[in-house]
Amino acid sequence: MTTKSRDRIRAKLQDGNTVVRILLAHPMHTGRGKNAEDELIPAEFIQDIRCWRNDEEVLTVKCGTATSRNPYFAFQLEAGEVGDIIRLRWVDNIGSKGTAETTVV
Amino acid sequence: MNDNFDEQRRQLIKRSISASTLALVAASGLMLPRVLLAHWPQDAFNAETLEDAILTFLGEAEEVNEEAIQFTIGSPPTYAVNGATVPVEIHTSLENIQRVAFLVEKNPFPLAMALEPTSAVIFPFKTMLKVAEDSEIIAMIRADDKLYRTSRYVEIDIGGCA
Repeated sequence: MTTKSRDRIRAKLQDGNTVVRILLAHPMHTGRGKNAEDELIPAEFIQDIRCWRNDEEVLTVKCGTATSRNPYFAFQLEAGEVGDIIRLRWVDNIGSKGTAETTVV
Repeated sequence: MNDNFDEQRRQLIKRSISASTLALVAASGLMLPRVLLAHWPQDAFNAETLEDAILTFLGEAEEVNEEAIQFTIGSPPTYAVNGATVPVEIHTSLENIQRVAFLVEKNPFPLAMALEPTSAVIFPFKTMLKVAEDSEIIAMIRADDKLYRTSRYVEIDIGGCA
């Protein structure tokens, strides 16, 4: 189950370090929210995000239901150079997956 | 002679079948301890109290209330109009960070997000959380087997746990 990806990832070299910004497209239903017909929306949220630089795994993020809709993350990676590939993979609680990839500019 | 050969053949097939079944069982994870299976730390995220969540995810360690973490919530700080997107930012000068956790005290499940950074990651780390109501938000870092804890109180206009 791979949904069509609208995930965005940007990586930029700034003062010698790599600045990474990630915006995932995901509804992040907690399982407690209701729709217009007052029915509970089943839980659907990203649980696990992994991030690689080239082939080295650099960060794992585990999310609970309290992560905002369309999750946003920003962080930096030590050093790096233009052309490094930053790769990301997420999995949610119902098994949907997504990947995003960018090169450092 | 022929019978004997047949017998051996049967034995071999039997053994290979049981071996492959075992391998299948092992691969399916039935025999692995739960900890290895816990791709997502369910117990920690489903903990309903702050203490449980901290204990389950970060483990027991000496707790230090430390100024080595700078923690900012909301914009402007300590106030957020919409609880569905409360910006948080954590900055630290600590090294050897094993785990970082964001916890929202009043949420149904306090543990909001957990990071496992490698040494390549430089803070600050920014993200957005949902906060149900006015609550203490806690950032905890486990580094060198010590727990560093800092917290901020945030006021919410519209609850964000829908």
